[in-house]
Amino acid sequence: MSFNVLIVDDSRSMRSVIKKIIMISGFSMDKCYEAVNGRHALEILAVEWVDVILSDLNMPEMNGLEMLAALKADSHLQAIPVIIISTEGSDDKRKAVLEMGAKQFIKKPFSPEYVRKVLYEVIGMEDAGTHEGYERDNDGGDF
Amino acid sequence: MRDMKEIMMAAIFDVVEKMFYVFLEPVADEYSDYAMEAAVQFKGDVKGEISILVSEALAENMVRNFLGLAQGQMTRDDVEDCMKEVANMVCGNFLGRLDRTKVFDLSMPSFSRSPRKNIADGHSFRLFFDSDGESFGAVLRLAN
Repeated sequence: MSFNVLIVDDSRSMRSVIKKIIMISGFSMDKCYEAVNGRHALEILAVEWVDVILSDLNMPEMNGLEMLAALKADSHLQAIPVIIISTEGSDDKRKAVLEMGAKQFIKKPFSPEYVRKVLYEVIGMEDAGTHEGYERDNDGGDF
Repeated sequence: MRDMKEIMMAAIFDVVEKMFYVFLEPVADEYSDYAMEAAVQFKGDVKGEISILVSEALAENMVRNFLGLAQGQMTRDDVEDCMKEVANMVCGNFLGRLDRTKVFDLSMPSFSRSPRKNIADGHSFRLFFDSDGESFGAVLRLAN
């Protein structure tokens, strides 16, 4: 089974790195859409179905929290799991993001293994890889 | 301020080693061959700015490592984008280490190929690093 993924980040480099990490991590990805901010993401979601969204928080025009609120207010989109990937990692920010409906919070810098693990967790499937011991007690693991 | 220097150094090492595969050696003297500067402002219990200064060759090496690009594939936009990301991650990492119970607002990163001179003052500090003969600097400037 393959999954459609939407990556939302104003940094082209970071979108490219996240996409590459998903590919090399072995996660079964079908289509990968990219958006430069929350508004662009909503435009894509109006015409394409995705199984999971990985989004930055700090973006121009519409940030990650505003996008999350828009998703949760939309009956067609509210069930899509969202993983926030951000440099901002305060306890309160993380709590706010999860309370707003994000499924997970990954703090940069992160590891490919950690991203894969979180992706499988979020879509509710068992990770087929043999990655015991990858999990770290920090936010993002080693890259 | 000494604690802040140690926290800043730890944040820089965490970001550049984990995501850019670059290893930095702290040095006492400042280089003058910085080719670019990227900066992020932050607001919260403390307010200020973190900027990073990087030589051309080191920046290109970091971009190659980060994006997995071969020689000749990288553009000036790639360099700008990656250096903004370095500043963003260093700032977020620093503030998280400083106090993870506090929320800070971060600005969008800025970038310039004309690094500012003497941007540190009495409420700031600068850190200097070497990486195989190339230079990396960081400045923390706290608002009054």
